Amino acid sequence: MKIEEFQFCPKCGVRLSQNAGLSPEGASNTVSSVTCGACGATFQPSDVAEGALGLPAGARGNRNPLALVVVAVVAAAMLYFGMHMSRRSADAQSLIMRASPAPDFTLESLDGKNLRLSDLRGKAVLLNFWATWCGPCKIETPWLVELQNQYGAQGLQVIGVAMDDSGKDDIAKFAKDMGVNYPVLLGKEAVGDAYGGVPALPESFFIGRDGKIVDKIIGLKGKGEIEDSIKKALDTQVSASSASPPAVLQAQK
Amino acid sequence: MYLRGHKTRLIWVLALFAGTAFAQTGKAPSVSFAAVPLVTAPRAAQTMVNLNFRVASGFHINSNTPKDEFLIPTALKMDLPTDIVLGKIAYPDGQNLTFPFSPDQQLSVYSGDFTIAVAVHPLLSVTPGKYVMHGVLRYQACDNAQCFPPKTVPVSFDVKVVKEPATHHANPAQSPHVHN
Repeated sequence: MKIEEFQFCPKCGVRLSQNAGLSPEGASNTVSSVTCGACGATFQPSDVAEGALGLPAGARGNRNPLALVVVAVVAAAMLYFGMHMSRRSADAQSLIMRASPAPDFTLESLDGKNLRLSDLRGKAVLLNFWATWCGPCKIETPWLVELQNQYGAQGLQVIGVAMDDSGKDDIAKFAKDMGVNYPVLLGKEAVGDAYGGVPALPESFFIGRDGKIVDKIIGLKGKGEIEDSIKKALDTQVSASSASPPAVLQAQK
Repeated sequence: MYLRGHKTRLIWVLALFAGTAFAQTGKAPSVSFAAVPLVTAPRAAQTMVNLNFRVASGFHINSNTPKDEFLIPTALKMDLPTDIVLGKIAYPDGQNLTFPFSPDQQLSVYSGDFTIAVAVHPLLSVTPGKYVMHGVLRYQACDNAQCFPPKTVPVSFDVKVVKEPATHHANPAQSPHVHN
């Protein structure tokens, strides 16, 4: 048996090596017995032969227990960090959702006028971030048109915020093709950032009459789910404390 | 003792979980580019190079020829050294699939692994040697319910330009004679 095949003491489990514990008593590359430097146990090569350690001979590489522990600790740290970041991200998102006033902004609409969100105070607002290249947005947009028709009289105002780099003409064409009956604003990164970065589209925020976010939907969900959130926003009341609007994000990059 | 045997597997599992946790953090889709072995390209000839990409599981990207005017096509843009000419870029056909957000319309997409072939053509003026080709693949990814802003993945590969193979010109003076 070759020296390299002796890896771990079958009694105490310490790794056997030329420097610490392996005492070959035989030829330079073939040994007749081995003494563990850690526990002093002497045993025959057959004791550590295949199966003795629960490992096939081929699997017994040159492992260093310390290195394994370090790798395990690093992997555990990565796991913790990943989960922590995930939680933090989720917390940030829910904070935005719970955040009382919806971040205010002023953006240019397709017809060239500036629209300030806080000017809609008193209405329930469905703020829909979308893009021309977003397939799910294309499905959702006709629903928003229908919902604007259905709930507009009760105080709903759908606002589309186009978050793509397409020119105004492309956005206008898309909106026209889809029969959009609500204002479409030309989105800016700063506005997206104020709403949590808007990492994926579509993303909708439901803002109550008091200017506070009551719900949020990320990605394509059913029309019924959107409708439920609209009802939540419509059920809110304008409060005295919401009379003064928060600071406005200007329509600039 | 048996635990020792499972340590490595345990570490891999932990690493996998850690990776998964990272992946879930931003839920950002990714397209990865596989390294290309050194390409040997003779001067004055066109050599095809296969560039292999992988779309992360659960996502798809538009093909080079999406079926909707508003969709962003996947496109490779190479920035080659002077005197190395980029030939045709051959994109694979997309898979025609329907998605929950597009039940009535098939979309032409790439998912999983796909290969784009590019032709490089070193001119005669190129000094033989190793050159690095750089470029980017621009793509826009979606999953079944949401889409992500367009992104780019860097692409690079090494080309070893060698002298053109000696051309054998027929010389009538040396043409074999037939002796009867």
